[in-house]
Amino acid sequence: MTPLLAACGGGGSKHKTGANSAEGVKSALPAFAASTSVAADIPSVPGPDGAMTDPAFLTYPANPVATVTGVPGKGGSYTAVTPLWGTVPPADNSFYAAMNKALGITMEMKPADGNNYNTIIPTMTAAKKLPDWIQLPTWWNSNFNVGELAASQFADLTPHLAGDNIKKYPNLAAIPTGAWQAGIWGDKLYGIPSFSTGFSIAGTTFYRRDLLEARGITADQVKTLDDLMNLGKELTDEKSGTWAFDDVWTYLFPFFGLPNKWKLADGKLVHKYEMPEFLEALDWHYKLATAGYLHPDAIAGNNADANTRFYAGKTLIQGGGPGVWNLADHLSGTAATPGFRRGSFDFLTAKAGATPSLFMGSSTNMMSYLNAKLKPEQIEELLAVANYLAAPYGSAEYTMVNFGVEGTHYTRVNGVPTANDEGKKDVQAQTYPFLATASSVISNPGADQVTKDIAAFQAANVKYLYKPLFWNMNISMPQNIATVDTAQAVEDTVKDCYHGKKKVSDVQAAISTWKSNGGDRLKQWMTDNVLSKYGTGQ
Amino acid sequence: MSTARSERGKSTTGEDAAGRRTTGRNGTVRLNWRTRLRRDRTLLLMTVPAVVLLLVFNYAPLFGLVTAFQYYDPLVGVRDSEWAGLAQFQQLFHDPLFWGALKNTLWLSLVQLVLFFPVPIALALLLNTVLSERLRNFIQSVVYLPHFFSWVLAITIFQQMLGGAGILNHFLRQNDMAPWDITTNPHTFALLVTSQAIWKEAGWGIIVFLAALAAISTELYEAAAADGAGRWRRMWHITLPGLRGVIVLMLVLRLGNALTVGFEQFLIQREAVGHESADVLDTFSFYYGIATGNYSFGAAAGLFKSVISLLLIWGANKLAHAFGEDGLYRR
Repeated sequence: MTPLLAACGGGGSKHKTGANSAEGVKSALPAFAASTSVAADIPSVPGPDGAMTDPAFLTYPANPVATVTGVPGKGGSYTAVTPLWGTVPPADNSFYAAMNKALGITMEMKPADGNNYNTIIPTMTAAKKLPDWIQLPTWWNSNFNVGELAASQFADLTPHLAGDNIKKYPNLAAIPTGAWQAGIWGDKLYGIPSFSTGFSIAGTTFYRRDLLEARGITADQVKTLDDLMNLGKELTDEKSGTWAFDDVWTYLFPFFGLPNKWKLADGKLVHKYEMPEFLEALDWHYKLATAGYLHPDAIAGNNADANTRFYAGKTLIQGGGPGVWNLADHLSGTAATPGFRRGSFDFLTAKAGATPSLFMGSSTNMMSYLNAKLKPEQIEELLAVANYLAAPYGSAEYTMVNFGVEGTHYTRVNGVPTANDEGKKDVQAQTYPFLATASSVISNPGADQVTKDIAAFQAANVKYLYKPLFWNMNISMPQNIATVDTAQAVEDTVKDCYHGKKKVSDVQAAISTWKSNGGDRLKQWMTDNVLSKYGTGQ
Repeated sequence: MSTARSERGKSTTGEDAAGRRTTGRNGTVRLNWRTRLRRDRTLLLMTVPAVVLLLVFNYAPLFGLVTAFQYYDPLVGVRDSEWAGLAQFQQLFHDPLFWGALKNTLWLSLVQLVLFFPVPIALALLLNTVLSERLRNFIQSVVYLPHFFSWVLAITIFQQMLGGAGILNHFLRQNDMAPWDITTNPHTFALLVTSQAIWKEAGWGIIVFLAALAAISTELYEAAAADGAGRWRRMWHITLPGLRGVIVLMLVLRLGNALTVGFEQFLIQREAVGHESADVLDTFSFYYGIATGNYSFGAAAGLFKSVISLLLIWGANKLAHAFGEDGLYRR
C-alpha cells in the first residue's frame, strides 16, 4: 500500500505547498498603526514569547465616538457564513436589518451550527458554493485544507492591504501584525482576523465557582491533575443527577506535557501520538469516565446541551474555549441559577510542584475570507465593511455591532448598554464579529465580576505560555497529507477512549495503523517541506 | 426515511402490477407500440415528472463515480484531478474500519429484517380486525405520527427516557438500584436502533399492507364464512395469500437496500456507542471520505456499496421469480 500512496505524491493539487517564506510574509503583511482607543481599566500584563493578557474594561463610554465617517458600503448584496455555538437568531430580524442600514449593504447572514462546522464546510468547498464571506476557525485549518482553498477559492487581499495600503482602513490597520500573519498562505494575504489576542489558548477547564466555593473548594486547591480527579469523587452525586465532569479532554491533555501536534527532540520531529505522555493523558481520562465522574449525556455525545447542564448545576466542571466566558454566558447562567459564577482552574500539572506550561495558539482563532469570485470593487466594499466591524472598544460602531440600536435592542442601565428581550434574541456575539473585530478586549458591561475574573485568570497564567513549534506558520498541505494530518480514525478512537468505551490499548492500535497508513509519511513531509525549508517558527 | 418513501412509491406500482395481472389473465392481444402509446399517453405523461427526477437526481450524479478512480481534488475539479486507477479500492479493502462498517451494516440489516420487517405486517393485520372505523383511524394516526419526527427528535426522546441521565435511570438510582445502560452500550446497539426504527417507522410501513388488504375482495371472506371457515382459517387461506405478493415485493426491496440502513440515526448516536459500533457504510463514507476531504476514498466506498446492492436486488428478484412471485416486475 505504501508505494500506492507514495504514487500520489503531490496529490491532485497544482498549488505551492509548504509554509510561508520570511520575505514573502514581509511583503504581504500590512503596516500596523495603533488606534487611539479608550484607556483600559485593567491594563494588559506581558508574558514570555510576546504573550500578553487582553486589556479589560469595566466602564462603557457614555458617548461612543464614531471612527468611520459615512456609510462604508455602496449598496452591494452579499452572503456570509459563520459558525455559531448557540441558538441561531431568526433569519430576518431587526438587528440584521439595522446592521444592513448601518453598513450600507445587504448582507445575508447565515450562521451555521458550530459543533458540526468542520463537516459542513467541506461539502460547501467541494461544491465550490462558498458564500461571499466566510469564517474558518484556524484550529480546523487542516480539515478545511485552507492553504489549498486560499489559492483557488479565496480573494487575494495582498494588493488591497499589504504595507501602507491598509491605511485606507484605519481600524484594520490597528489589528496586531501577528494576527495578519496567520492569514497569509503561500506568501499572500487572504485572511481577516477576528479577536486577535496575545493570550491565545485553545480553551481551559471551567468550574462552577459559585457551587464549589459554597463547598469550600477554591481554584488554588487544584494544582495537579490528581487534585482534579479527586474532585470527581467528591462532587459526583448520581442520585441527585449531578456529575462532576462534562467533556474535558480537549483542553486538559496539554497539561500532561503534550504539544498541540509536534515537538522537536534531538532535531527530529515527534508527533504527540508517539509520546508516552499521550498514553498517560488517555489513561487519566479513561479512568475519569469509567469511574463514573463524567455526565452520561456527555458520554452519549450530546455536546449541544453541555452548557445547559453546566448552568443547571448538573455538571460542575467542563472544558470550553475562551469565547464561552462572556456576558451572554453570565446572563444565561444567572437566568438558570441566580448567583451563577463561572471560574477557570489555573494551568495544571501532572506532577505536584512542577511548573505548568501551555502552548500558545495562533494569534487568532477566528479568520474570515472573501470569495475569489468577487470583483476588486466588491472586495474594497467588503474591506470597508470589515473596517467598520473592526472598530475599537467603546466606539459607536462597536456599540452597534455588539448591542444593536439603542431603544430597540438595548437600553442604558446605569450607563451600561443592557440588552432587552429583542436584543437577547437577535444580537449575537457570534455573527458579525466573526467577520472582523479589533483585537480582543475583556468587557462585559453590567457584569464586572466576569471581566475581573477573566482578567485575573489571564494575569495568573500568562507567564506559563510558550511559543510552540511552527507557531503562526500557516502550513499548506496536499490533500492526501492533510487527510493524514486530520487523523480522523485516531481522533475517533481517542474520543471513544475518554468516554470510557475503548481502552488505551485500542488507541495505541489505531495509532500504529495510522502511522503505517500515512503517519510516517506525514512526518517525512513535514520534515522535508516545513522544518528543513522554513525552520521551527519559534 | 428514504426507505419509507421508496416503499410507498413501490406500493403503487405493486398495485398496478396486481391490477394488470387480472386483466392479463383474461388474455390481452399484443398491440403495436404506437397504439399502446396513444392508449396510455395519460399514464405515461403522469410518470414523466418521476422519470425526470430520477434522471436528474439518480442518473446524472452517476458521472461523479469517476472520482472513485481518481485522487479527486474538488478544488481543481474532476477533469484535472490525478488518475488513481484502483488505488482507492486497494486502500479501502486494506482498511479495517471499512470492513467493520460493512459488518455493522450487514448485522443491522439482518436484525432489522428479523425484528422490524414483520412488525408492520402484524400491525396491519391487527388493525384490519378492528371494526370501528373511528378507532381504526385513531390508532392509525397515532402510529403514523412518529414517522414525521426527525431522527434528532426521536433519539432525543429515547435519550431523555432511557439515557444515562434519563427518566428511567434517574428513577432506578433514586430507588438504590443499579442504572441500566441502554443508550451507550455498544453491544446492544443493534437492538436499540431497531427499536427506534420500529417506534418511528413501523406505523408508516403499514400503509402498503393496509392497501393490499383493502384490495382483497370481501366476497372471498363472505364465501369462506358461509362455508364455515373460522377467523384463523380465513386469515390463513385468504388474507395471507392476498398479501403474499406485496410481502415478497417488500422483501426484495428490503434485500436490495440491505446496505442502506440509515444515516442520521447512526450519525447522531455515533459518539454514544463509539465509532466502531455505530459506523455503517454511509457514515463511513461521510467521516472518512467527505469530512476529511478524502472524497475519492468516500466515492470508492459508495461505489462498492452500490455494486453489492445491485447484486443483492438482482438476486432477490430472481429468487422471487423462482417462487412464482412478481418480484420487482413481472417476467
